[in-house]
Amino acid sequence: MRDPIKYVFIWPAFLVVLIVALFPLFYSLIVSFQHMRLVPPVPTRFIGFDNYAKLLSQERFWSVIGTTTLIVVCSVTVQYVVGFAVALALHGKVVAERLFRVTFLLPMLMAPIAVAMVARMLFHSTVGPINDFFSLVGLPNLPFLTKASWALGAIISVEVWQWTPFVILMMLAGLQTLPGEVYEAADLENATPWQQFWGITFPMLLPISVAVIFIRVIESFKILDIVFVLTGGGPGISTETLTLFAYQEGFKKFNLGYTSALSFLFLLVIIIFGVVYLAVLRPTLEKRS
Amino acid sequence: MSRHQSSRTVTFALCGIWFLITIFPFYWTFITSFKPPTAVNGGATYLPFIDFEPTMKAYVDAWSGSRGDFFTPFLNSTLIGISATVLAVLLGSMAAYALVRFEFRVRLLAGAAFAAMGIGGFLLFQYFGLSRAQAMGVSFLLALPSSVLLNRLRLPGPVLGNNDVVFWFVSQRMFPPIVTAFALYLRYAEIGKDGFRALDTYRGMTLCYTSFSLPIVVWLMRDFFQALPVEIEEAALVDDVPRLRIFFEIVLPMARPGLIATSLITLGFVWNEFLFALLLTTSDWQTLPIILSGQNSYRGDEWWAISVAAMVSITPMLVLALFLARLMRSGLSLGAIK
Repeated sequence: MRDPIKYVFIWPAFLVVLIVALFPLFYSLIVSFQHMRLVPPVPTRFIGFDNYAKLLSQERFWSVIGTTTLIVVCSVTVQYVVGFAVALALHGKVVAERLFRVTFLLPMLMAPIAVAMVARMLFHSTVGPINDFFSLVGLPNLPFLTKASWALGAIISVEVWQWTPFVILMMLAGLQTLPGEVYEAADLENATPWQQFWGITFPMLLPISVAVIFIRVIESFKILDIVFVLTGGGPGISTETLTLFAYQEGFKKFNLGYTSALSFLFLLVIIIFGVVYLAVLRPTLEKRS
Repeated sequence: MSRHQSSRTVTFALCGIWFLITIFPFYWTFITSFKPPTAVNGGATYLPFIDFEPTMKAYVDAWSGSRGDFFTPFLNSTLIGISATVLAVLLGSMAAYALVRFEFRVRLLAGAAFAAMGIGGFLLFQYFGLSRAQAMGVSFLLALPSSVLLNRLRLPGPVLGNNDVVFWFVSQRMFPPIVTAFALYLRYAEIGKDGFRALDTYRGMTLCYTSFSLPIVVWLMRDFFQALPVEIEEAALVDDVPRLRIFFEIVLPMARPGLIATSLITLGFVWNEFLFALLLTTSDWQTLPIILSGQNSYRGDEWWAISVAAMVSITPMLVLALFLARLMRSGLSLGAIK
């Protein structure tokens, strides 16, 4: 039991994470209570909760939270619905299944920056194929990246394109664990596919659905790359997300205390979301199992 | 029978539509990289040889470096990617193995003491006139051993087990990366002032990516190790083979499919990462995504050149995806996902 070799195994990884990921957090927690600017350099001083108070009273902060939440809710909903549907279709033994499986994996592995670059090209107002398609069916050219509502739509659709594969992958893995006998019994009772889905498949996949949506929401809240390239947060600040806002404050204005406070508020938002989400869903999950 | 037939048509149509949506951006990037400028600026063109005459000019330009250096960032991405992957998979597998085969007990109070001593020591030493980086280093060196010692005492409060340690590793990935990215930037800048350059260096980037890949590696490798039979190791232990040899000569070879899959996933993560590279590099060690994100601003709408840049970033990942798909066909997927 008291086998000292186990420390040789775990300490290297533990130390790296402590030094690179955790200890800097302590430091930036301290900085978030200070007034600290690099450009112009002013003496650092302790100001308590001022950075946090200033942020919370700022309208831009709330608008950024709203935009990020909107992107997250819309894109994750579509990802889940489309991903689940495609996973069901794939599970039902289609022709050319192998080709579909490999292809559906691809978007997830691409650099979001590259995806956003390509999206910029596709959504281009005059030479892009999407507007070309719209004019073919008689619609006017749409200002995808320069008008707030269309730009949000473009960002959401790029998110959906890139991350639906993750939902497909996970739901497919879940579908493969379902016992076949239940469906045979349902077939005997002449249950329609629709009834079988709501009566068997959906409830049995509820735990994995909860996990998939949780992971996707946490990941989507971090969205930066796509917005950075596609709209840069514009027009105005209408598509600015939390991470982009923090980046702008920190690296354009070098207002480090303020940025640290912002990133800790961000962390708080994620934690609150996680706790509420799990608290709301726990009763449903426990009832099933 | 007809109901069966129609439901097959519906599923095939659904897969087909999603297939077209998935594949079109790839197709578009691929053909655009071969388009001459006139075929781009005159409106959308779709078919090579019919709509436009394909040309290799954009690739030649990129290769010769006449439109900005592509080779260095490509090399940077490759070097950093491979070293961070090797380090993360090695250290992460060791940790994952320990978490599967041994029992760890961490007292919550000792962890809290570490945080308190780290923050308090930092403020205190800075008050005594040490630089920020020095104060950080000294407080870390004091906080760590003393909290390890504290962990040996019979402290009150909850005791965390192996699952909590795993959760601690994984939770590092759940944090918004901007929080750690800024903290790391500040820290790198501080130790730079004291003579150890970490910003925009190979070691700085490799260390950062190693650390941020570790959670995934620990999480994935733990599943693979759990699936291994323990008897072979026990037999070796009876023969007094040292644990480290058992690990490197028996366990790692047995977990090879898992190691390959984990390495590929880690490599993909490092290759595509943008935020850390954006904050921590300025010129020498910029990676591909950074170069890619700058294309639009200093070149305007030269889509053929941008497509070539995108192809350079995408192609290695396409190859990687094919590898992963082959691995998963041999029954790996469930182990990795569960």
